[in-house]
Amino acid sequence: MRNDLWRLFSWLGVAFGFPWLFLVLLPYVKQSSAAPVPYAESDEAGFVAYPDPNMVRAGASDYGAEIYRREGCAYCHTQMVRPTYAGPDMWRPGWGGREEEGLARETRPEDYIGEGYAQLGYQRIGPDLANVGTRLTDREKLHIQLYNPRANTHESIMPGFRHLYRLVPADGRDAALKLEGKFAPEEGFVVVPTPEAEALVDYLLSRRKDAKLPASIRPAVAEAAPAEAPAQ
Amino acid sequence: MSLDLNQATPEDIRERAAIDRSVRYPVLFFFTSAAAWLFVATLLGFLSGLKLRVPTLWEDCPWLGYSRLFPVHMLALVYGWAMQAGLGVMIWLMARLTRNELKNPVTVIVAGHLWNAGVAVAVITVWAGLGRSMPWLDFPVWVAPLLFIGYLMVTLWLIPMFRARRAGEVYVSEMYLIGAALWFPWIFATANLLVGDEGAATMSTGINAWYMSNLIYFWFAPVALASAYYLVPKIAGRPIHSYPLAQVGFWALAVLAGWTGFQRYVGGPFPAWIPAVSGAASIFIIVAVVAAGANFWFTLRGRQKLWEYSPTLRFTLFGVLMFLAYAVLSGVSSFFSLSQVLQFSHFVVGLDTLAVYGFFSMAAFGAIYYIVPRITGCEWPSPTLIRGHFWFSTYGIGTVVLTMLVGGFAQAGQMNQWDQAFVRSVEVANGWIVGRIVAWLLIAAANLGFFYQLALMFIGRGRRSAGPTLIHAEPGSVGSAEEAVALAGAGGHH
Repeated sequence: MRNDLWRLFSWLGVAFGFPWLFLVLLPYVKQSSAAPVPYAESDEAGFVAYPDPNMVRAGASDYGAEIYRREGCAYCHTQMVRPTYAGPDMWRPGWGGREEEGLARETRPEDYIGEGYAQLGYQRIGPDLANVGTRLTDREKLHIQLYNPRANTHESIMPGFRHLYRLVPADGRDAALKLEGKFAPEEGFVVVPTPEAEALVDYLLSRRKDAKLPASIRPAVAEAAPAEAPAQ
Repeated sequence: MSLDLNQATPEDIRERAAIDRSVRYPVLFFFTSAAAWLFVATLLGFLSGLKLRVPTLWEDCPWLGYSRLFPVHMLALVYGWAMQAGLGVMIWLMARLTRNELKNPVTVIVAGHLWNAGVAVAVITVWAGLGRSMPWLDFPVWVAPLLFIGYLMVTLWLIPMFRARRAGEVYVSEMYLIGAALWFPWIFATANLLVGDEGAATMSTGINAWYMSNLIYFWFAPVALASAYYLVPKIAGRPIHSYPLAQVGFWALAVLAGWTGFQRYVGGPFPAWIPAVSGAASIFIIVAVVAAGANFWFTLRGRQKLWEYSPTLRFTLFGVLMFLAYAVLSGVSSFFSLSQVLQFSHFVVGLDTLAVYGFFSMAAFGAIYYIVPRITGCEWPSPTLIRGHFWFSTYGIGTVVLTMLVGGFAQAGQMNQWDQAFVRSVEVANGWIVGRIVAWLLIAAANLGFFYQLALMFIGRGRRSAGPTLIHAEPGSVGSAEEAVALAGAGGHH
């Protein structure tokens, strides 16, 4: 009777132990030790290694990443550009990075080194953000998107993150969001971002995977996106 | 064979009554608090859908944003309702199968409070803005030990029960229960230790997806199937059709489930073999589900009409059917041809909801309709409310799943038109989201009735009767004499 239990336990353990070890633990351990990939002399990249911390962790973007997680952004936005065999992401203008310079590509494991948890996302209710930092470079526009998305895109169903902003008396200050028409705050007041909002914008601007890859991990044939993609 | 379908002797009846008495308070505690969480979860499902459709509502309140309501809704549904109801089913089932009284009901009730505290803290912290954008693992990492210890304090008692069972072959339900008891702490600890702020970036995200799939196949599935393998033969009044087939199904699940999950990120930043292996496993695992489904079908052959009368059988079979639908859809959608359309669309929500509500919850309702009259000694007060619970749930879950599946196709079709604005995919999905909102209202209505009935049973205000509450009041129209006999045997307290 007692042996029965241990025999059953052992078989159950074996059945689960295989995928646990080979699918989960070993690939995890292997990836944990991944360090930024050094550039060779011949790469002429101007950086020491990819990804370069000055680029992907610029400003307060570490704190911004926390805000991104806390607000559940990943429930509606992915940060993952699929290769062409798995979906047409690369054809959507700007999603893969800067096409015109031939730097558009799918995301790779090295892009996320140092992030702890890659925000690959749960759904795509809104657009992919893997390269949002190359598409939307205007801080002001990003702030307006976060404060009232309808002011940028009429049909947007993104929630406005009002609690990341303050409504304050104007008093001649200028670090305010330029909201016009029906989106303008009441007379004599202006909307200013909190440090959280600034950090989140820093984080969004740092979402760009368009640096030239080191030759050691660069795919042999880079696939170019269609040349005449219409502007959005 | 632990599942004795022979005519019960008076000693048997006394023994079963003693077992039912010993688990009465912990099991009732789990069921009632689970039902309360279910009601909370359905309201949150409704609110999150509403916020998705009308984003300008309550814009100043960060607690009422979609991106906080939706994760909180899933946490309440998975840990508050589904797992808690499952724990209740596990205890009762193991006690009955091994013919053991529960020696430590107090410890189990304490563990139940710990579990509920864990769920409450998880829900409140994520709601208040300490979430981590990690589906089903959003809560801060220090909440995990509460759930972990609470779980172990319940399921550890299953092991001495199993060891003290009567001689004989181990029934497949017992194997499923032992499997579930062992696997959950393993996957939960793995996920909480590996998925976090430090460590491997994309593997963490992949392991998060693996955890969701494993919770479905390695916990929800074993508990629901353990219950179905016990209840279907009981109600059919004959032993399970094929014991070898049941074994094959069990081991197929045990061997394959751990490989599933990464197919959520097909084409993602992983070594390419990882999502490919997961996709293959999620297709092969359909075999395990078909084996169980076929076994129930053949067990019931000639007696299918019982489904019209027995609430237990009706809910259980519906759950098994939805499990089949889930396995097929999640397997098929990992093919490139479908994943490039459906991946990241509303289809994902449809699939996750199908697993937790369509499959597991319906099977758990089936078990609850069987167990509660036996541990309280009174019958369900109203066949009308049971009928309402079933149909509102069925229409509700059908609406969520269909609108999210079909709407997911429509949404993703627009999304993949790369030369038009992204916002077209948002506009196309808007109408389908209305279906999701209505559906959660239907499910909330269904479960209000369920909670009311359960509360009456809890305070001992059920119907006093020798016969069970059947869905149709007069069982006089049962098809054959054989079915009538089976039905009478199935309903009674033994």
